[in-house]
Amino acid sequence: MNLQYSGEETITADKATVWKFINDPEQVGRCLPDVVDVTVHDPTHFDAVAKVGVGPVRGNFKFKFELQPSAAGDRMDMKITGGGFGSAIDLTAGADVIEAGQGTTKLNWSGQAVARGPVAAVGGRVLDAQAQKLISQTFANVRERLSAASG
Amino acid sequence: MKVSIKVNGVQYEKDVEPRTLLAYFLREDCGLTGTHVGCDTSSCGCCVVVMDGDRAVKACTMFAAQADGHEILTVEGLAQGGALHPLQQAFWDQHGLQCGYCTPGMLMTSYALLKHKPNPSDGEIREELAGNLCRCTGYNNIVKAVRQAAETLQAAPATK
Amino acid sequence: MSTDTTIKGSLGVPMKRKEDPRFIQGKGNYVDDLSFPGMLYMALVRSPYPHAEIAGIDISEAMKVPGVVAVITGKDLEAAGLGWLPTFHGLDKQMVLAIGKVLFQYQEVAAVFAESRGAAADGAEAVQVDYNPLPVVADPFTSKKDEVLLRPDREAKTNHIYHWEVGDRDRTDQALQASEKRIRQRMWFPRCHPAPLEPCGCVAQFDKMGRLHFHVTSQAPHVYRTAVSLVTGIPEDKIHVISPDIGGGFGNKVPVYPGYVCAIVGALKIGRPVKWIESRTENLTSTGFARDYHMDVEIGAKADGTVTALKVSTTADHGAFDAAADPSKYPAGMFGIVTGSYTFPTAHAEVDAFFTNKAPGGIAYRCSFRVTEASFAIERGMDILADELGMDPVELRRKNFVKKEQFPFPSVLGFTYDSGDYHKTLEVALEKIGYQALLKEQAEKRAKGELMGIGISTFTEVVGAGPSKHFDILGIKMFDSAEIRIHPTGSGIVRTGAKSQGQGHETTWAQIVAEELGLDPQNILVEEGDTDTAPYGLGTYASRSTPTAGAALAMAARRVRERARKIAAHLLEVGEGDVEWKDYKFQVKGVPAKSVTMKEVAFAAYTNMGQNEPGLEATQYYDPPNMTFPHGAYIAVVDVDRDTGEVKVRRFLAVDDCGTIINPMIVEGQVHGGLTEGFAIAFMQEIQYDKDGNNLNTNFTDYLVPTSLETPHWETAHTVTPSPHHPIGAKGVGESPNVGSPAAFVNAVVDALSPLGVRHIEMPVTRDKVWRAIRDAEAKKGQS
Repeated sequence: MNLQYSGEETITADKATVWKFINDPEQVGRCLPDVVDVTVHDPTHFDAVAKVGVGPVRGNFKFKFELQPSAAGDRMDMKITGGGFGSAIDLTAGADVIEAGQGTTKLNWSGQAVARGPVAAVGGRVLDAQAQKLISQTFANVRERLSAASG
Repeated sequence: MKVSIKVNGVQYEKDVEPRTLLAYFLREDCGLTGTHVGCDTSSCGCCVVVMDGDRAVKACTMFAAQADGHEILTVEGLAQGGALHPLQQAFWDQHGLQCGYCTPGMLMTSYALLKHKPNPSDGEIREELAGNLCRCTGYNNIVKAVRQAAETLQAAPATK
Repeated sequence: MSTDTTIKGSLGVPMKRKEDPRFIQGKGNYVDDLSFPGMLYMALVRSPYPHAEIAGIDISEAMKVPGVVAVITGKDLEAAGLGWLPTFHGLDKQMVLAIGKVLFQYQEVAAVFAESRGAAADGAEAVQVDYNPLPVVADPFTSKKDEVLLRPDREAKTNHIYHWEVGDRDRTDQALQASEKRIRQRMWFPRCHPAPLEPCGCVAQFDKMGRLHFHVTSQAPHVYRTAVSLVTGIPEDKIHVISPDIGGGFGNKVPVYPGYVCAIVGALKIGRPVKWIESRTENLTSTGFARDYHMDVEIGAKADGTVTALKVSTTADHGAFDAAADPSKYPAGMFGIVTGSYTFPTAHAEVDAFFTNKAPGGIAYRCSFRVTEASFAIERGMDILADELGMDPVELRRKNFVKKEQFPFPSVLGFTYDSGDYHKTLEVALEKIGYQALLKEQAEKRAKGELMGIGISTFTEVVGAGPSKHFDILGIKMFDSAEIRIHPTGSGIVRTGAKSQGQGHETTWAQIVAEELGLDPQNILVEEGDTDTAPYGLGTYASRSTPTAGAALAMAARRVRERARKIAAHLLEVGEGDVEWKDYKFQVKGVPAKSVTMKEVAFAAYTNMGQNEPGLEATQYYDPPNMTFPHGAYIAVVDVDRDTGEVKVRRFLAVDDCGTIINPMIVEGQVHGGLTEGFAIAFMQEIQYDKDGNNLNTNFTDYLVPTSLETPHWETAHTVTPSPHHPIGAKGVGESPNVGSPAAFVNAVVDALSPLGVRHIEMPVTRDKVWRAIRDAEAKKGQS
């Protein structure tokens, strides 16, 4: 099951602050909705455990994150693989980090999710909304935390 | 956790994991293996038992804890004093079973049905049994059996 | 002599079933009902990926889960030489637990053994598997291109499994070319699943002396014993297979599954009994599916409707391993029955099978080795031909039927049909359903724009595998067997190599023996499924019990009777030649007053046998000289809602000819059940995979079983044409309704839609498909 999403977040923080934040595994991990635990392995790799509920399939899913920052410091790609309950979810998400003036920064993001196993089969009808929530909420949380910190 | 459930007139006091389903409580803690499990999605009805006298419940969709303090009737409790319940007799007479796996659930759903509707039409029987799957009989004979039992029970209201 | 205890006429009696008292009281004995001291539970870790390399398996977290005792992986099994198990026919092998890579979604990857059901599930959840996804091949047509090689472990570096063909290709092509009328239709018999209500499962237990007692949901316990011995190397005498009450099989419980091997290995390694019961999801996603045949059907005919040639080319999807349940010399089973009930002068059939990243299987869902696919092809094809000819499908069938006097009939694709009367069976059906009145009603409805359809299927089945010169499983010939012991008081015990899963053997076998011996069927105990006691047999599937084990039983009973005759002669104080078996007892020829009953003879066999061998028992192994060929005429009447596409099956009549009927009540029940399965297949059941290889029908909310609400009321009737080679003339009936009905249902729906120009619709015929067909047809009409 292939799902695609995109969106945009405007953050009240300058680009350097945003870039620093999204390069910090601990910070990014904590932006995952319903996150339970974050284990950082190195500056670009971390694991996060999150509560996921897709239809009747509910429980803790473990995700492995790999951050892939661009050398120019204007784009962050993320590879996320994870699963639980005999299911696998592979996500890729990327965001362009754009200076938006007046101390704000835009994250233009897009993401793609591939789900396999009971999550796709049993929860297929509601998976779309759930995967979208997972990705969009993560970026929304980035905005909230940063905006809160700078505000 | 401790639960106290009366099953077929016998009080069972057991210490169970909170996640224990009523179906497995009956099968494994009470040794009443007549209640079957046939699916993971509450679809097949092999596990139906009767709670508090007239309520058909799917025992795979209830925790044992939810039945704490309640009375459960399983297929093993249908026959009284060595005599088959009219439903059991009717399923036998009408060839209402083949492999027998769905039969306990069918009997218990029908039992609750006849408590509420002592004289159901064929259409009503089919509607009430729609939560119980059977792969062998094609339902025709099950409907006939429930009707026969209804007639027997109406003719002799003293019988349970 | 004493009072007459003879029981007369047990055959053809609608005797109530002897097995029922335990089932209606919750006293059945299914595998999951068993419990042994110290028993562990097993859960399997399965792959969410349809095709992936396994980069690593980490069991450390699982081993920390309270209650988890052990975890085994494919590597452990491979090290023990148990990495692979042979498939049904022995022509391929299947991974027990994934080794190096996974080939289908939900494939078995690791087995977790724990103190409780819950702990085993927790342990399975805690096993961490690293996968590197590989490209997925989700259909046989992509597979055919060989761009992704799925099975590098095999010698042949191709996804093509086999090519099978029968008949004269050139002659058939020429005949098709020369035909005045010709039709061609692609039909897909979709992948479906038998889904018995009791899932598969087992309990493996080694006793103190190291002997394996293996309780398992098996339709063929003796074959399991041999297979387990071959796979594990345990000598066959150290293996005891017990198949207790089985909650439905329908072909699903014929193959040996990886979970069984894991349970045995676990029990051996840990030294405690191990129970494994699969979930419904596991059942639907990993155990034997059925069908999945893409068939190109071509029929040629003269303008008057006389058929001239039949050609069927099939692409089969076998999934990740070739675990199709077909005899080793017949990879496409009995697909050669595809000429059906008709006299084709020439025909050709071919099947090419391919690996895909889907669950392995290709078992028979209440069907005799691909007969359902073949019957659907010909019965659907005949209707399309009738449409092309503008001829009544009934008339077309009548014109081309094999005639009664042509039996035994050698079909052009190599079968010898034993007996039949196709015209008679069809006439009974037409008369009983009121065909002429229905046609009139249909014409009136059509004039008003209403959609009503009548669908006919006049199929011929081939069952009862089978003659040993043709059929085997893993090299074991497909004979069957029976053993009868009559006790001193005239009761007895019967054992066969078959295994009932709801068919009612405990009743019908008792009736056969009672009929042959003049005893009370209530006192004939039938025991099956225990390899320590039952004679070797190949089990129950493919409607083979009555044609093989049932035949063996009747013959064993006759052996008992011959031994009894000697004792009767001793009791009657005459020569053996002067004793005749008449009216269910022995009597002195011409002196009916001088007689003894079998019950008296039985007592004498242990108390007063004279010079004769004591005891009264016999064993019979039976290798049938031919298959049996049941047939039937089925008629479906449907109403289709033009606005919603909803199909209502208003009536369905099945007239079956299964030869001699042992118990009409049981036969009717079998027909009801088979029709309900055929109805499910025609209208709702399909195991679908998306292009990424995800199984989309993994449980009963997505894979539908008809409920009492949708299931039509079934009407049944019979004609009786006994099989000439079967000892009591019986043919077997269990599968006919599943084999014959899908075509009747689809023919009826297409007939209803035919005024709109619809000629074919693929199964399952869902409301959505019908609605689209109506919409598309109306749009097309609007344009023209």
